[in-house]
Amino acid sequence: MSWVAPRATFEEAFGLRPELYGAWRRFHDLFGQRRLVPPIILELCRLRVAQQLGCRGELARRTREALQEGLTEAKIAALSRFETSPQFDAAERACLRFASKWVFDVHEIRDDEAAALVAVLGEPGTVALAEALALFDGFCRFRLMLGIGEDGPDPASGRGV
Amino acid sequence: MAATTRISIPEATGSDLASRSFLAHQPEALAAFNHLYGVLWSRGVVDQATKEVARLRNARVTGCGICRNLRFSGARQEGLTEERVELIRDGYEETDLPDRHKVVLRYTDAFLMAPGIPGEALRAELAAHFSPEQIVELTAAIGLFLGFSKIALALGNIPDGLPVMVVPTPAP
Repeated sequence: MSWVAPRATFEEAFGLRPELYGAWRRFHDLFGQRRLVPPIILELCRLRVAQQLGCRGELARRTREALQEGLTEAKIAALSRFETSPQFDAAERACLRFASKWVFDVHEIRDDEAAALVAVLGEPGTVALAEALALFDGFCRFRLMLGIGEDGPDPASGRGV
Repeated sequence: MAATTRISIPEATGSDLASRSFLAHQPEALAAFNHLYGVLWSRGVVDQATKEVARLRNARVTGCGICRNLRFSGARQEGLTEERVELIRDGYEETDLPDRHKVVLRYTDAFLMAPGIPGEALRAELAAHFSPEQIVELTAAIGLFLGFSKIALALGNIPDGLPVMVVPTPAP
């Protein structure tokens, strides 16, 4: 429940500024709809950011694109062990390493870690992932600051739990 | 932090700073972001000087060189002079900044360092200065400021020592 807009979902709270929310939504939805980043990698990174911030609202959500690509709950359950779990391949580990440092240690991202990401995603894909991480981090915090919990179904592309 | 860019910079496609950066690798996303940022700055319900206070606090706390040295002209026109900007530092509580801006600085620090529902005192201070719509806009603004500072830090920061640059306020 949000202290700014009691009982509001993310959409309802952000929707207090409708033009801003509409512009944010168009930007946000590009990453999944245009597949600027492979959907499973994008979803794993979103959930990894949410995990680090303790953002239950985002942890409870799944995007349709990732589920259609075959992302399983077993893999999500292993997310905090991505470095060692056999559920993850080298490409996913490179992306998750980058996402993990993004939240609290962005200054500690090393040249070799950035290069590994570029090797997986290419330069356009790396830029897209960075932009997506910017949104995941910034708007998990938005949820946390405003006290917005779990939502219903995502109006654009996913399901709520 | 990346001392130099880790991503190549495509041939310039626009006149603004972002269009001349590695963000141009994703032109559709860049256009959508520029529209979003323009709506935030030019069609907002929070005055530009107040958002600039939050943006510059984020720049200082996250250590983003380019963000720290940029100034948006609209905020300057609203009275956010360099003398005022200098007060957006640690110890701002003891400065002559207006109470409204000190509240924003407290809220920004909480967002950056310990995100969660603010305590009762800070919520009351926010409510005294801002409507719910303004608080939502301010919170979204800080989210965007933080996110895009981190992009610069992760993929290629501009080093310290840049002069202060006053640029037009983003517009959609």
